[in-house]
Amino acid sequence: MSPAPDGLHRTLASVLEVGTWLASALVTAGLFLSHATVVLVGIGLFISLPIVRVVVMFAAFTRGRDGWGAAIAGLVLTIIVLGVVLGAAG
Amino acid sequence: MTGPHGVLLFGLSLAASTIGGMLGMAGGVLIVPALTMVGVEIRTAIAASIVSVIASSCASAAPLLRSRLTNVRLALVLELATTLGAVSGVFLTGWLPTSLLFLVFAVVLLASAKQMLTRRVEAASVAKATPAEWGTVLRLHGSYVEPSTGAEIGYVVRRLPSAMALMYAAGVISALLGIGSGVLKIPAMDTALRLPLKVSSATSNFMIGVTAAASAGAYFLRGDIEPAIAGPVALGSVVGALLGARLFVVVSSERLRMLFVVVLGLLALQMTLQGFGIHLFGAMS
Repeated sequence: MSPAPDGLHRTLASVLEVGTWLASALVTAGLFLSHATVVLVGIGLFISLPIVRVVVMFAAFTRGRDGWGAAIAGLVLTIIVLGVVLGAAG
Repeated sequence: MTGPHGVLLFGLSLAASTIGGMLGMAGGVLIVPALTMVGVEIRTAIAASIVSVIASSCASAAPLLRSRLTNVRLALVLELATTLGAVSGVFLTGWLPTSLLFLVFAVVLLASAKQMLTRRVEAASVAKATPAEWGTVLRLHGSYVEPSTGAEIGYVVRRLPSAMALMYAAGVISALLGIGSGVLKIPAMDTALRLPLKVSSATSNFMIGVTAAASAGAYFLRGDIEPAIAGPVALGSVVGALLGARLFVVVSSERLRMLFVVVLGLLALQMTLQGFGIHLFGAMS
């Protein structure tokens, strides 16, 4: 028997699945309506999905009192945010 | 905005991503050369490709997570290195001349072709975990269920520091060229960490999104992402990723791999020529 997926795996799968559908729907709608802003919002959602995924992991590790896990998730988020902000300015 | 151009871009990225998915890799390495061939400027192509890399990673993640092939904890630790690399890559793009970008891309295409030729060897570590190694301290060891037998197989994560170094390089290349850089991730996971192949593929796919988000976010805020190009490309790769994952099991891959090696070689040649300012296909722009 395969072990039942634990809560975190299942949550992450759902977040990414729902997010992908939503972002794809926005991009499709924007392209058909020739509306560049809607396409950009969809693309922005795509880009934010992996970041949201790290936030979900950070929350799960914090709740589970997993010090290493929470610290690493927090650090990854910090690198991404600093990178995006500094990279956009540079 | 949807004219024939959008449909062409959608088709190209659909094809690249489907073929990539069938071979268990992201299609970014095909998308950028394909886009430059139809006249898209390379930096625009890279920005569009990095979005599509995120899209296909997210689209194919769910089933791998549900079957627990993905080691999410290990992915997070390795992402420290890949995101740091991606941030470095974003700064590098600023001062790297475009012609050099084409040449670096050609080298990566050749390396990918070479990797396609060498079979991945199952070298999962069977030795017991020692209490002092990083894998134990950070609780990264795991187990997965072999789909063909239903048996649960445990594995130990080895040599984390050397894998982190390769992952940093993978992050730089990913941001620089707009690709998932499986060409560096796969050796890091197979040979340094000694992961079972299925676990390393699933975990690598999961990490690609976060790595790419670090650079894509910067390109997005800079205004480098053109919706008319990135939009159809992202959609094509979502559909291609889902399609490719399905075909992955159906198609006998030996002939396909050889075809792919040839395609990668030709693209490397084409990118080299473009790096020297020679366009084989009349660029439309």
